[in-house]
Amino acid sequence: MSENILEIKGLNKYFGTTHANKNIDFSVKKGEIKGLIGENGSGKSTLLSQIAGLYPRDSGRMLLNGREYDPQSPIDANNCGISMVMQELGVVGTLPAGVNVFLGRTSQFTRNGIVNLKALNKAAAEQFAKWDLPKVPLNELTDGMMIETRKIIELARALSVDPQLLLLDEITQSLSMNNRNRLYDLLKRLKAMGRSVIVITHDVEELIQITDSITVLRDGAVVGEVLSAKTSPDEIKRMMVGREISGEYYRADMKPDYRNKVVLSVKNLLVENEIEDVSFDVHEGEILGLCGLSDSGIHAVGKAIYGLTRRSGGTVHLVAKGLDIKNSTMALKNNMAYVPKDRDNEALMINASILDNLSMPSLSELQGKFGYIAPRKTKRLASDMTKKLSIKCTDINQTVNTLSGGNKQKVNLGRWLAKDLKLLILDCPTRGVDVGVKAYIYSLMKELKKEGIAIILISDELPEVLGMADRLIVMKGGRVAGIIRRDEDFTEHSVIGVMI
Amino acid sequence: MNKTRISFADIIPFAVFIVIFLFFEIASGGKMLSPFNLSTILEQSLITIVVGCGVLFVVAQGSIDLSVGANLALSGVVATWAANAAGGVLLVPVALLVALIVGIVNGVIVSKFKVPSFMVTIAMLIGIRGIVNYIQTIIGTQYIPESMTVLREPYIRYPAFVLLVIVMFYLFEFTKIGQYSKAIGENESTAEFIGIPVPRMKIIAFALSGLMVGFGTLFSLTSVGGTSQMMGVFFEIKVAMAIFLGGVLVTGGTSTKLYKVLLGSFSITIIVNGLALIGLSETQYSQSVEGILLLLILYVTIIANKRKNRVRALPDELEKTDLKPDQIITSGS
Amino acid sequence: MQPLQSTQDSIKKINQNPLIFFLMLIAIIAAFAVFFNFVTGGDFLERTNVTVIISHIVWPTFVAWGICFLFACGYTDLSIGAIIVLGSFATCIFGNWYGYPGVMLGGLIVGTLLTFLNFNVFAFTEIPSWIAGISLAMIYEAVAVFLKVGKSTADLIYAEIDKSLRILGRLPWSIILLAAGFVAAYIIYNRTTVGLNIRAIGGNKEVAKALGINIVKTLLWVGLISGIFIGIASIVQESVAGRTTVRTGLTSIYVVFQPLAIVLLAQILQKRINIIIAVPICAVLIYAVFNLLTILGVPSGTLQEAFLGAFLILFGIIGQRGYKGVVK
Repeated sequence: MSENILEIKGLNKYFGTTHANKNIDFSVKKGEIKGLIGENGSGKSTLLSQIAGLYPRDSGRMLLNGREYDPQSPIDANNCGISMVMQELGVVGTLPAGVNVFLGRTSQFTRNGIVNLKALNKAAAEQFAKWDLPKVPLNELTDGMMIETRKIIELARALSVDPQLLLLDEITQSLSMNNRNRLYDLLKRLKAMGRSVIVITHDVEELIQITDSITVLRDGAVVGEVLSAKTSPDEIKRMMVGREISGEYYRADMKPDYRNKVVLSVKNLLVENEIEDVSFDVHEGEILGLCGLSDSGIHAVGKAIYGLTRRSGGTVHLVAKGLDIKNSTMALKNNMAYVPKDRDNEALMINASILDNLSMPSLSELQGKFGYIAPRKTKRLASDMTKKLSIKCTDINQTVNTLSGGNKQKVNLGRWLAKDLKLLILDCPTRGVDVGVKAYIYSLMKELKKEGIAIILISDELPEVLGMADRLIVMKGGRVAGIIRRDEDFTEHSVIGVMI
Repeated sequence: MNKTRISFADIIPFAVFIVIFLFFEIASGGKMLSPFNLSTILEQSLITIVVGCGVLFVVAQGSIDLSVGANLALSGVVATWAANAAGGVLLVPVALLVALIVGIVNGVIVSKFKVPSFMVTIAMLIGIRGIVNYIQTIIGTQYIPESMTVLREPYIRYPAFVLLVIVMFYLFEFTKIGQYSKAIGENESTAEFIGIPVPRMKIIAFALSGLMVGFGTLFSLTSVGGTSQMMGVFFEIKVAMAIFLGGVLVTGGTSTKLYKVLLGSFSITIIVNGLALIGLSETQYSQSVEGILLLLILYVTIIANKRKNRVRALPDELEKTDLKPDQIITSGS
Repeated sequence: MQPLQSTQDSIKKINQNPLIFFLMLIAIIAAFAVFFNFVTGGDFLERTNVTVIISHIVWPTFVAWGICFLFACGYTDLSIGAIIVLGSFATCIFGNWYGYPGVMLGGLIVGTLLTFLNFNVFAFTEIPSWIAGISLAMIYEAVAVFLKVGKSTADLIYAEIDKSLRILGRLPWSIILLAAGFVAAYIIYNRTTVGLNIRAIGGNKEVAKALGINIVKTLLWVGLISGIFIGIASIVQESVAGRTTVRTGLTSIYVVFQPLAIVLLAQILQKRINIIIAVPICAVLIYAVFNLLTILGVPSGTLQEAFLGAFLILFGIIGQRGYKGVVK
């Protein structure tokens, strides 16, 4: 049992000048379920990707069963008995489910150059049966399937390699409760078979429950390893952030504190297949939290309010103006702002300058006679914001992709703060930023709250909404499952109770 | 880090221009710089620049308008016909209106129905060309009415040209229309998430493209004197080449600048003109030179911009060391 | 057990059976044919006219199959028309020199080689394929002009291909070739590793990469496979027409417009019926419409082109219905 299947010594990985993995020493025993945890950007996915052969390491050694292991490709890794389910990969929608299970390895079903689809589907069905996975229509294209189904196909794909070492990156969050339990059983079975698993998940309690030992990463380096049986969520969280976190940068008061005036009134919001019958009011100076499991629809609510998705019913009423917000252009015009979750693809123009990014939402305010936008005005706005948020850059003409994650997020927020806001929608504003910037963002939110701006805070991180929100809307399956006030039973435990 | 270093990507178009110019100047034994030839180059670049300034808005958004050649022919044929049939003054409004309508139709199909722009505009190119040929089989080639030849006079022609370019420069560099178009080219999702009216901006861009074709038609008609079978043939490629030779990225974005159209238009005109000067004016030479050059310039522009955008992120941990203590809010505890 | 179903609604399921859909499609075409026949006063379904339709759909169908592979991996190539022109010249020249082996190999080699070359350009330069295709079309057109103006080559390309070498343009050989092409296209598209890999790249490049599919290698395969279909298309084209004209000023792109219309229409039907099967059906449909237009006296080269443009846009619009992503 104590023999190591995988041993990593002094591994380093750089992306440009970013030191993503620092001198990592890491090992997994045979028959061990290993947890890997760390904040966003701590380098855990990077580490797994190197083990799975997705990209090469820059230095260090990897030993598999005591022998030098240097995978050139995922296929290479598969051949060595290592397979991975990636966090944000998915399946090919234009191919049937069965083909997806064996994609890239279809040649094993080839006879005389022709792929025997029947044999392929049979083999796929055998995998589903062997590992006790819920049945999936193998002949259908995966395009119309639910996220959970697709994830299970990915899992089947990884298991079909018959791996000695299975890597799971954030898979539980897209599974429903039943299938999560199936996964836990599966892990137990793999363990009993003497196989090893490395699991990444953000859910600390879950990780402790399902693993044998946990390695914690911070800023690309291993900060420690603990036995799951002998640790507590608090200890792990402390290791993750490197200091006590409770009450440090969140709000200290435990009372809802906002004005009576309603800024935005949402009634019976309906977006097909995403959310239904969502109603709430947001008040001046209120931080309204929204939380829920991964397909609870919290992110869809933010998009729908800002008019980015076509809604099939309900109203989003901007009280002061007496307007119903129908599209994002209207929202922009009426002092609303939206910070999307996917910073690099949805929020920022990554190859454009800081100047362009900061000034883009304010162009209407900056234009003079004949629509003239003076370069002098945009420059002033950009340099003011850069100074105010202390964005680290050489000058405002620098392109945004040369900034660090935290500074990118400051640009993302700063472009809205230049405006006279009434309502700010934040979707996971602290995703992928380090602790310092995180604290800064919370302080900004408090400042905005004081100014009477209404904030809708959508977050995957429960401590964050609990720490900041006046009221918390808990969503489940696209519906509002409960609204909890800050002075009521405002604990993780009670919220999870409503969530699940 | 280097501050305001002029990027490699911005120098290339100038280098291309100079190399092309010097090559043909030497190859033609100095004929390139004769006053007569210079005025020919200016005259030949005129229409490309005018239309290019319109198409630029579309390209800045990352789309393309390949229907401008056929549009030029259609608006020319219809406007001349209308002017001859119902009064010379009609030439101007009809040319502008027809071209504008074609542009708007392009814009609506691209933005509302989400058909890729190269596909829509190529389909328009073939469809409109069919209609033009049909009309011409009925009415034949026509001359513009005598009363309208006044537009050919230099004191109208050149001020009009300069004014058009200035107006387009203003719209592109200093108004929301230009800025939003560049934002759409950078990242269409971002533009939409900010609240930029993306479909409306696309229609406006194609409409501007169409409108400038209308002006191009007037320049073309007055300089030639009427319509012809060959009107606007291959013109869409000349305009596209001018824009890309000027160093504009196929994907558009904030690096798109109007001066690049001027530069590229002169480059492409000098190529065509220079090939003629050294006795290689036939299609096979011009087309192969243009084709190879277009591939090369696109390749070099892509490489140069990749170099420019190579990620050079400051690692987050470097910042934490000089994080000011007052930035971490310790509320209460 | 947690229920796992696709989110498609059950009403659609009734029409899901591809066979029923296929038969419905045939019935609709038959109905149209009868209607067209009525409109044209019996000319449409006349025997010679039907033969004309069948022998004329063969080469566009081959081109369309070639384009299917291009589209499957997310690429466009606007130089195909110019390649077909050059391929037809090769068919003619080598056919007149070496008989049937020349006919087959001439077109096939030129078509395959050039398409393969194109995909090298697409894969290695990363220039968007539509604009790279336009550049390449300009170059290939220029090559055709070089052949035309060269004294020795002009005679070769303008010599009509020998009548005895043109059986691939006539029944029943054209139908046999079509059947063989269909089987080959269907198997490659649906039942080979490379076909599945091509579709994986078009469907989700990231997944394909992560599963160890070699993107560049697969793209070169696409060039090869499409090239073979395009090469055969140029052989059949030359066999049907007997001679080919040089096209300049990007008018060679017009050559692929009918095939393009076929593929766009087939893509609309793709959700119900395999695209390889849909292609010949759509080819018949589209060619029949143009045949009808000709019989009705709509001038070709002018108004018919206008119809073609309109069809393309229309099919494009229908095909993109409900699409939510970013389109340039």
